[in-house]
Amino acid sequence: MTMRWRPGPIFIILAIAAFIPLLDQVLPAKMQLSEAIRGVFLYAILALGLNVVTGYAGLLNLGIAAFMAIGAYTFGILTCEIYPFQLGFWPAIALTIPIGALAGFILGAPTLGLRGDYLAIVTLGFGEIVQDVLKNLDVVTKGTQGINPLPAPNFGGGEWTAEDEYKWYYLFFVLLVLTVLAIRNLERSRLGRAWFSIREDEIASRSMGIRVERIKMIAFATAAAIAAFAGGLSASVLSSTGEPSNYDFQISILALCIVIVGGIGSIAGVLVGALVMVGLNSIVLVKATAWMAAHGIGGQGNVLLSPNNWKYLIFGLALILAVRLKPNGLLPPRIERAHK
Amino acid sequence: MLDYQVFLQQLITGLSNGMIIALIAIGYTMVYGIIELINFAHGDVFMLGAFLALTLLGALGMEAWGPTGQVFGVLLMLIGSAVFCGGLNWSLDRLAYRALRKSSKLSLLVSAIGCSFVCMNLGLFWGGVPMKVFADGNSAAAPKDFPAIIPQINLLGDGFLRITPADLLVFAVTIPLMVALTFMVKRTRLGRAMRAVAQDPTAASLMGIPVDRVIGATFFIGGALGGFASVIYSLYNNTIGFQMGTRAGLDAFTAAVLGGIGSLPGAVLGGLTIGCVRSMSDQYLETRWTNTIVFCILVLILIFRPSGLLGSNRREKV
Amino acid sequence: MKHSSIMLSFCAAGSLFLAGAQSAKVATPAPAGTLRLISSLPRTGSANAQTNTMVNGIKLAIDEVGGQVDGWKIEYQDMDDASPQRGNWDPAVEAQNANAAVKDDECVAYIGTFNSGAAKVAIPILNRAGLVMVSPANTYPGLTKAGFGEANEPLVYRPSGKINYFRVVPTDDLQGVEAANWAQFLKARKVFILNDRELYGKGIADVFRKQAEKLGLEVVGFEGIDSKAANYRSLATKVKATSPDLVYFGGTTQSNAGQVAKDLRSGGYEGMFMVPDGCFEQAFIEAAGAANLNDKTFVTFGGLPAEQMTGKGAAFCTAYRAKYDADPEAYASYGYEAARVVLQAIANAKTKDRAGVLAAVSATKDFDGVLGKWSFDANGDTSSRVMSGQTVHEGNFKFVKVLGN
Repeated sequence: MTMRWRPGPIFIILAIAAFIPLLDQVLPAKMQLSEAIRGVFLYAILALGLNVVTGYAGLLNLGIAAFMAIGAYTFGILTCEIYPFQLGFWPAIALTIPIGALAGFILGAPTLGLRGDYLAIVTLGFGEIVQDVLKNLDVVTKGTQGINPLPAPNFGGGEWTAEDEYKWYYLFFVLLVLTVLAIRNLERSRLGRAWFSIREDEIASRSMGIRVERIKMIAFATAAAIAAFAGGLSASVLSSTGEPSNYDFQISILALCIVIVGGIGSIAGVLVGALVMVGLNSIVLVKATAWMAAHGIGGQGNVLLSPNNWKYLIFGLALILAVRLKPNGLLPPRIERAHK
Repeated sequence: MLDYQVFLQQLITGLSNGMIIALIAIGYTMVYGIIELINFAHGDVFMLGAFLALTLLGALGMEAWGPTGQVFGVLLMLIGSAVFCGGLNWSLDRLAYRALRKSSKLSLLVSAIGCSFVCMNLGLFWGGVPMKVFADGNSAAAPKDFPAIIPQINLLGDGFLRITPADLLVFAVTIPLMVALTFMVKRTRLGRAMRAVAQDPTAASLMGIPVDRVIGATFFIGGALGGFASVIYSLYNNTIGFQMGTRAGLDAFTAAVLGGIGSLPGAVLGGLTIGCVRSMSDQYLETRWTNTIVFCILVLILIFRPSGLLGSNRREKV
Repeated sequence: MKHSSIMLSFCAAGSLFLAGAQSAKVATPAPAGTLRLISSLPRTGSANAQTNTMVNGIKLAIDEVGGQVDGWKIEYQDMDDASPQRGNWDPAVEAQNANAAVKDDECVAYIGTFNSGAAKVAIPILNRAGLVMVSPANTYPGLTKAGFGEANEPLVYRPSGKINYFRVVPTDDLQGVEAANWAQFLKARKVFILNDRELYGKGIADVFRKQAEKLGLEVVGFEGIDSKAANYRSLATKVKATSPDLVYFGGTTQSNAGQVAKDLRSGGYEGMFMVPDGCFEQAFIEAAGAANLNDKTFVTFGGLPAEQMTGKGAAFCTAYRAKYDADPEAYASYGYEAARVVLQAIANAKTKDRAGVLAAVSATKDFDGVLGKWSFDANGDTSSRVMSGQTVHEGNFKFVKVLGN
């Protein structure tokens, strides 16, 4: 730490995020952002997890949402009053991490020998299996009912509710910052360099003495742990696990888009990617349709006139344009990847 | 009914479903073989093909045509959807993928995901606006009935075992297509060019092969197969909807990987395996576990054959 | 680690400041003039077809009062609780909608949700704010009634201790029972039960199964389908091999009821087919193909169908047809009824604010609606027990009888 400190993009992004609730104080109620930005934080944590396995270690994972589901249901079962455990928020949220990692090991152990896209389909399949199991084992998971209510953190005062939105905001913010710090330390560690090494050249890494399977496994488990943590947080803030199909393939795809549009392998990129992709969905499109409806634009008679019917198209075009204009992402990592 | 009849029936159903999956999977696997793109938009191109077929059927009033006329109508839909899907897939490559050839595989993948959403939205519009031409009160998002102009009657009379003209149609269309395609890839100039580009695009272009055109042609052929599949699918299942592409695409992707991604016979074998596993699991286990079983079998097969059933077990290039 | 500590102190300072700012922001009563109804329904994706008719019903109800009640302008906001990447309801979006409604000082009522799972997220949020919620579609019994869901239900939805959640639709436990009774009346001896593994479909299928067993019907199979599958041929073969007299499907048009019906027929099953109100819409007949349904398909519905209605109901049908050039379907009536209950409550409310409207909604008694004459009971459920049975005849629904008597 003798170097002169210059604020990097990560710091700038997070610093701006810290002030959103202040901005909300001057914005009219309909334009307030903090709740939507809190959603961005959640996806940012999820995508940071995916970034470890796909960005650093170069393993395409199409089933990250499954680990989010595992985290959410772990949190639900450990805390909800209809189960015997009835832990509080903190112990339960802490336990989602090792349980997520364990799930990552279970999936990873037999399959990490697979090459590129073969691994991708296995992760995809795992996502489907987890959903089916959660749905079908209704004795344990309550099937599609979801598990509720779930506890919120509690700092001395009463338990938080949805109305304590700024407390939630800063909780998510702090947890995001901690995740970022943890991942940045990993990235710069021996382990991080091993991940980059196997991403760039597996065979060369192996001959340099890197235990490739083991290193891959750690990447997998780390990603799974972070995703499960995000799942637990999401369940807590909603006070419900939702239903298993809330964690379907589309969520995995969204996380992947965040990572790639933002800049694969770059923490700052993932943060920006989450803001752009989730922000487009839950801020821009939502506010735009509300505005149009309030001004009498659009209607229901014709399928083309209803703004809701354009959401897929806009989302899709945004993806196409983003990678077309910025093929390496909005904020690619500083160190260029060796060209392949 | 006897136990063996139930088994045979499930086998027929499994094979028919598997054939349709296989036909979509071939398009997937061809594109993958040549540019290593998991073409997420493939299923949605297929879905739009089904909407085109329904539009043709409705606009030309095929339901009222006699049996001979309807055979002609089916041919017309097959050709129409194939050309349309081929053209659409080619255009997607031209507009959304070609510029990304030099970028990472993952940006290409995201572009394909984007195309998938765009196509799905087009399907939603399509299901809403022109569909009023021949059916009232259809809301855009609701599933659409696809008239059964190939009747779902039992050709074997009143027995338990059923084989319908739709079952026969599936085989009558897919098997010749697969044979023709294999011939094309193995024997024609274009096929050789495709294989050359798949092996090494740089070397291929140095040998004078117009790489972009060959890739474009691959997209066209892959899309056209999706178009054929969409008509078969629609005539077999008699329902289409704007979200059907997602599941069809996932099934096809699974089939392609199971068989060995990039391998045409592999895609067929993969499709048939999935179709049969599905129907057997529905019958002898519980339907709600069918998807889990399909994916468990996939994982098991990949553990023992890491490159799929018929995939070449080559090491990744250094 | 330097900047992290800076960040942390930032947040601490920020939250202190905000905590102060927040408590200073007292909920002001609605400014004289405008009251807003907000609906939160999945508008993107596959449920769009059903929610369109619901929104039509709500809009019609507001139009009929001329967009105002007692000199107060009534505004309506149609929120989407689905997101494009999900294509279905999204719990985060539902929570966001509920919070937005709570923050909107002019909002006096929340109409929704479509999915019972979404209601579980929204009810506690609105309950704390004392905002009334009227659902036109949730049928999961645990939301209002004890003894049907988990042990902690429905109290978990009432953190403030008061009831703010009401629904105009009869719950699964009623409809499933009536359906099974009707199956017995139709002389079914062996039934095969299918469900879509969703909250609604599985719930109603479970009730049907229980009642069927109680009535001594033989349940020859109980299967959960994959609602995204291309077809159900193999399942149809399995069904046919058990030769049931009636197949019950707990599910909706959205969860592929049309394809199920179609494949049962093309798989050679020729017996009866029964579905709940999630399929009581023309889109079901269109998806299934009329020929596959005619005269052997039975649909239960929590109310009377359009053509059987007299008085208010008949007027609704005429008005709906005039405005939208289509027959009102189950969901249109439910949407219309929910909006009208709210509008009437606004008219009856002593104070035109949330508390007043909530009190007036819960006092709804002998409401002359399109689903009959009914009141809200102590749980917030409709007292209406009118269930009707329909069949499909020549491609249209045809009323058969009032169920339960």
